[in-house]
Amino acid sequence: MSAGGRPTRPSGEAFWWALFSGGGVMAAIFVPAFILVTGFLLPSADAAAAAEGAARLATIAGWWPVKLVLLGVITLSLFLCAHRIRHTLMDFGMRRHAGLLKLPCYGGALAGSVWLALVLWGI
Amino acid sequence: MPDNETITLELFRYHPETDSEPRFQSYDVPYDEDWVVLDAINWIKDYVDGSVTHRWSCRMGVCGSCGMMVNGEPKLTCAAFLKNYYPFPIKVEPLVNFPVERDLVVDMEGFMDKLQDVKPYIIRDDVNDTSGGEYRQSPAELAQYKQYSMCINCMLCYSACPVVGHEDEFLGPAALALGHRYNKDSRDQGQSERLEVMLSSEAMWGCTFVGECSVVCPKHVDPAGAIQQAKAMGAQEYFKRFVMPKGAGV
Repeated sequence: MSAGGRPTRPSGEAFWWALFSGGGVMAAIFVPAFILVTGFLLPSADAAAAAEGAARLATIAGWWPVKLVLLGVITLSLFLCAHRIRHTLMDFGMRRHAGLLKLPCYGGALAGSVWLALVLWGI
Repeated sequence: MPDNETITLELFRYHPETDSEPRFQSYDVPYDEDWVVLDAINWIKDYVDGSVTHRWSCRMGVCGSCGMMVNGEPKLTCAAFLKNYYPFPIKVEPLVNFPVERDLVVDMEGFMDKLQDVKPYIIRDDVNDTSGGEYRQSPAELAQYKQYSMCINCMLCYSACPVVGHEDEFLGPAALALGHRYNKDSRDQGQSERLEVMLSSEAMWGCTFVGECSVVCPKHVDPAGAIQQAKAMGAQEYFKRFVMPKGAGV
């Protein structure tokens, strides 16, 4: 108990925040480049060049080191989204259900990560 | 500007011993472009209605006593010039997210408790040992915390923060920034003690980085930045304790 009578129980929030923080860094650095390449550059190229570019990307994504990087970047970005959505819901009045909200939010991020791992495994 | 020009102040009034609920009362105040809102309230108290109750002291943005809601925004009334609102009426209310004690005065007790919780002072094991002389600090070490030491406890950040409004356990921007200030001080040895409180569930992690605390801060302390740095420090401490459950230092 603190001087002001505040409970000093340790919190697992640090763990979720670390994933959120890591995801923030990853999303800020890599996601704009992903969007630029796959969302703008490839679609704006002519069909033959786009097909060749997509094939090269698929080859690159097939390398194991690249698969691991993609898994790390996208998994952390999913946890970034999950944490932000959970806290937004808390700000919208669901603070009393902060614990319960972990299940759909972080569970969704985990499910997305597992699905991503399976997709990468299959490339 | 004509000498007889006036500006209207709508003051929040509430005397708990007589009023069943708060109300607003309008006062016409002489308009002077050099006046601030605090000057206008003082003029009302001195010449029109002595029952108006408000806090103030230095009149120059140092003491942090005169924080109020001015047209819905948390402001130091000694730094809010009438000319920025003229000719429209100015609505003055007590700081939100605090219980109202009387008129424009809020109850600071909860805030003071939170300040105590983060132990905003240097903690050392050898506090009485002065044999080594003064504690030396390099400019780089000073720069680590100087910005956060500028806080004047005006509580504007508590009124701007939406989390303070709905989460009692949240320590709030100023207390967390001050806790972080001492954690970053090279002379301090009390980081573990402070993190005991700051790492608990909603004390610090409740912050959703809205950032309004830094926007309204009259001393440019950037509490939002301090909280994010404190969270990074707290996360490191969390994983240290996880890996080394016993005797993990900071």
